[in-house]
Amino acid sequence: MDDLLQEFLSETTESLAVLDVELVRFERESSDATILSNIFRLMHTIKGTCGFLGLPRLGAVAHAGENILGKFRDGELEVTPRAVTLILKAIDQIRVLLAEMESTGVEPAGSDAELIDEINAAASGAAGAAPAPAMPEAAADGPAFSDEGFPVAAELLAEVAHALKHDSQPVPESPAPAPEAPRAAEPVRAPEAAPRAADAPREGEAKELANSSIRVNVDVIENLMTLISELVLTRNQLLQMQRGQKDNEFKVPLQRLSHITSDLQDGVTRMRMQPIGNAWNKLPRIVRDLGVSTGKKIELTMQGADTELDRQVLEMIKDPLTHMVRNSADHGIEDGIQRLAAGKPETGTIALNAYHESGHIFIRIADDGKGLDLERIRQKAITNGLATEAAIAGMSEQQILQFIFRPGFSTAEKVTSVSGRGVGMDVVRTNIERIGGTIELTSVAGKGTTFLIKIPLTLAIVSALIVEAGSQRFAIPQLNVVELVGVSDRSDVRIETINTSPVLRLRDRLLPLVSLRGVLGLEAGSRATDRFVIVAQVGANTFGIIVDRVFDTEEIVVKPVAPLLRGTPFYVGNTILGDGSVIMILDPNGLSQAAGQIEHSDQTATQDQNGRTGSQSGDQTSFLLFRTAGHELKAIPLELVARIEGLDAAIIEHVGDGRHVVQYRDHLMPLVPFDAGHQWKQRGQQETLVFSDNGRSMGLAVDEVVDIVRDRMAIELSSARAGLLGSAIIAGKAVDIVDVGHFLTQAFADWFDTSVAQYTTRHALLVDDSPFFRNLVAPLLTAANWKVTTAADGAEALKLREAGHQFDVIISDIEMPNLDGLALASAIRNDPRWNKVPLIALSSHAEEGDIHAGREAGFDEYLAKSDQTRLTENLARVLRLAGRGEANDNLKRAS
Amino acid sequence: MSALCLIVDDSRVIRRMANEILKGLGLRTAEAENGQRAVDFCRTTVPDMVLLDWNMPEMDGISCLKALRAMRLEPRPVVVMCTTENGISKIREALEAGADEYIMKPYDQDVLMDKLAQVGLLERA
Repeated sequence: MDDLLQEFLSETTESLAVLDVELVRFERESSDATILSNIFRLMHTIKGTCGFLGLPRLGAVAHAGENILGKFRDGELEVTPRAVTLILKAIDQIRVLLAEMESTGVEPAGSDAELIDEINAAASGAAGAAPAPAMPEAAADGPAFSDEGFPVAAELLAEVAHALKHDSQPVPESPAPAPEAPRAAEPVRAPEAAPRAADAPREGEAKELANSSIRVNVDVIENLMTLISELVLTRNQLLQMQRGQKDNEFKVPLQRLSHITSDLQDGVTRMRMQPIGNAWNKLPRIVRDLGVSTGKKIELTMQGADTELDRQVLEMIKDPLTHMVRNSADHGIEDGIQRLAAGKPETGTIALNAYHESGHIFIRIADDGKGLDLERIRQKAITNGLATEAAIAGMSEQQILQFIFRPGFSTAEKVTSVSGRGVGMDVVRTNIERIGGTIELTSVAGKGTTFLIKIPLTLAIVSALIVEAGSQRFAIPQLNVVELVGVSDRSDVRIETINTSPVLRLRDRLLPLVSLRGVLGLEAGSRATDRFVIVAQVGANTFGIIVDRVFDTEEIVVKPVAPLLRGTPFYVGNTILGDGSVIMILDPNGLSQAAGQIEHSDQTATQDQNGRTGSQSGDQTSFLLFRTAGHELKAIPLELVARIEGLDAAIIEHVGDGRHVVQYRDHLMPLVPFDAGHQWKQRGQQETLVFSDNGRSMGLAVDEVVDIVRDRMAIELSSARAGLLGSAIIAGKAVDIVDVGHFLTQAFADWFDTSVAQYTTRHALLVDDSPFFRNLVAPLLTAANWKVTTAADGAEALKLREAGHQFDVIISDIEMPNLDGLALASAIRNDPRWNKVPLIALSSHAEEGDIHAGREAGFDEYLAKSDQTRLTENLARVLRLAGRGEANDNLKRAS
Repeated sequence: MSALCLIVDDSRVIRRMANEILKGLGLRTAEAENGQRAVDFCRTTVPDMVLLDWNMPEMDGISCLKALRAMRLEPRPVVVMCTTENGISKIREALEAGADEYIMKPYDQDVLMDKLAQVGLLERA
């Protein structure tokens, strides 16, 4: 297609979008001359440009629009909704013509005489005078020019009129022979003969607009983004190569390259940003038209239209947003009479609000209409077979509202031309979730409905962990990865199964697992028994993904998932790695739901609903269900259970006064029966739940471990029986929730009084820049009866000193921003306030040299972070010494 | 050095078209999307000719013309007002404000060439 025509199409499309918005504004504020002159100008420009390009049909429509707008401007015509509707119709017609030109490249044949007549009639009707359409008028004006001595102008005018009247003729067919025209203007000055010195440097400058922004084709930016993605990948490769090497001359330039690449990536990402207002442009018009056709009065308010987000994201939410606003206007807002009767203002309001928060964009769509009809949703869900009556009876309002996001659900009583377009809220949600967003819904009967959409700023490049399962590599978004655990059948850290569900004991907690090979149906690639568990978090839901190998984290470029794979919930997209291979990007959200389904295959229906809402509201807990002699189900929050052991009944020893113990991991572990009248087996296996804390364990003897389920923790407290907290409905069954504390104290009277209880509570300062590590170590300390204060770096720690705080031990990381551990140690040792306090270093580097440097700087003890078991042990030992105030001497002696 | 012509129009399409015609005639060109931008441009670079549209946002053609004349640019640029306005008063207004010529939209290469010849710029192309 002709470049110029292409340019015209895009320019006119933009103008039309502005026209739509401005006209709706104008209708409300018809006295605002600025808006009107803006509208008039836009229409005028379209008409003028049509003249240049020889587009008579389009020009005629634009001219009619301009004509009636001119009457508005000159005050000859009153602004009525009908007249505005006519102008909007003209705009629509222009759009139709543009669309056709876009595909064919030529102006479509035909005539819009009917519409033009209608508009002209409206223009002249109210004006009373000037019955003729404007074009002949202009032609008639022509001769007047010659009277004034402007024959050229007249000729041209006639020509314009002629061209516009005769559709088939392009305008500048016969150029006006103008040279003989007398000129009214003063004689033109002779061109300056002297060459101007400044001319040369101005050459380039002249080509540029005195303008701070330029228009760039989207393709150019997309292409640039792709190139930068490739650059990121190449940088990754280089970094990977450098990582294995000793420091060499490449290190510094490579770091610089790395920084520049990141900056470049930021820059282009910013270039792709567009204000969300671009997606809102059409909405005022839609709401206005809906208001007119349904007879409702609706006001649309928009806040934060200049909030920027990635083009790609913007495209994805455009349709969902339009649909939701349309829904609000069509179904949400009541008509004026109903509103007045309900004591609300006659005009309904739909409020759009967009803002940035923590790396996401939030968009709120709120109406003050009648709210969603719970009863109708309930019935519809039953009629459509989405849920049984019984299931719905047990649901909360919030859960029932979620049904509107189910496929094939529409609450409209009649399918109107507006919302009955086959797009439901399910599509809205799918679209939003596809870009990693979430949508929440609140509705109050009689007050209105609010949707809150949360979407990421950009989708283009994310940091991901590359893993392998069944000889295939996959990427897991780093955002969801909490930690990695190496597991082996030969070590303590191994995958166990409870009722066919794999679980992992992780720091005295049981973590539900999902096998990547299992859910994706992959063949085992290697027979390796050493595998890895990726601890992933989705909302408040933590679970483990079993993979065969773990590679590295990489910045990956997200490419959309192929349509063929959209049906599977496990992928969010694919990417190309540095070595050129294409791999899939996993969707932790989908996997977490798979983890749920595998966990309790017999309760799929319940899980489906709960799992959905759960991943959004995130207030679910995993429970271990078991049975005792009474046959009723008992539940214990899974995180309290350290292990589940099938103990050989033969090794259980009776030690008098009804107490039982078992040799367990080189210690004697007390066993407590759940029922006082428990019949100890003589042979076979005794199912035992093991609880561990602070180096001590106890076993709770039960009859049968049934299952692990996730559900809301909604306990109804009752103190009917010792050992039970109360009851709850979990996964549709009534269960008793066990009071673990009751049994712990049966085994150890002093369970909750810790081993250092004889000392007064002491105060530890924990300095580490990793929140993860702080969270890991602080409970260990608390468990050992230490009061813990944390600081994120050395500088923060010294501030505490300035503030006059005193500690009994200071545990510090070595590598930290601002002030590192070594500097902190020196600072502590060289100041009388804290120089007597035992100092313990915790570091990921525990080589000989590191330890030496630590000692030099003033640390009393140097522990490695990497060795979890030894860390706990050593920490306990050192703390015990520190607790007695002997740490200094002892450690000094030891070193 | 060929003459520099500043094209002032809010429509990209028209700017581009004028640009092509003028370049084809051997002139140098610059563009501005409204009167204000044209005035800004002229502060640093004085064009030989300004092809000035009437209806524009921010600052319209007639205000721009008045502003340009008030700047007393040296050498004084030729201003050609473009207009589809069909009232005689408009053209008179433009001439009174200091326009040297006017040209009716839509124009084409030949019309524009004639105008350039009239204002004596063609021989400088």
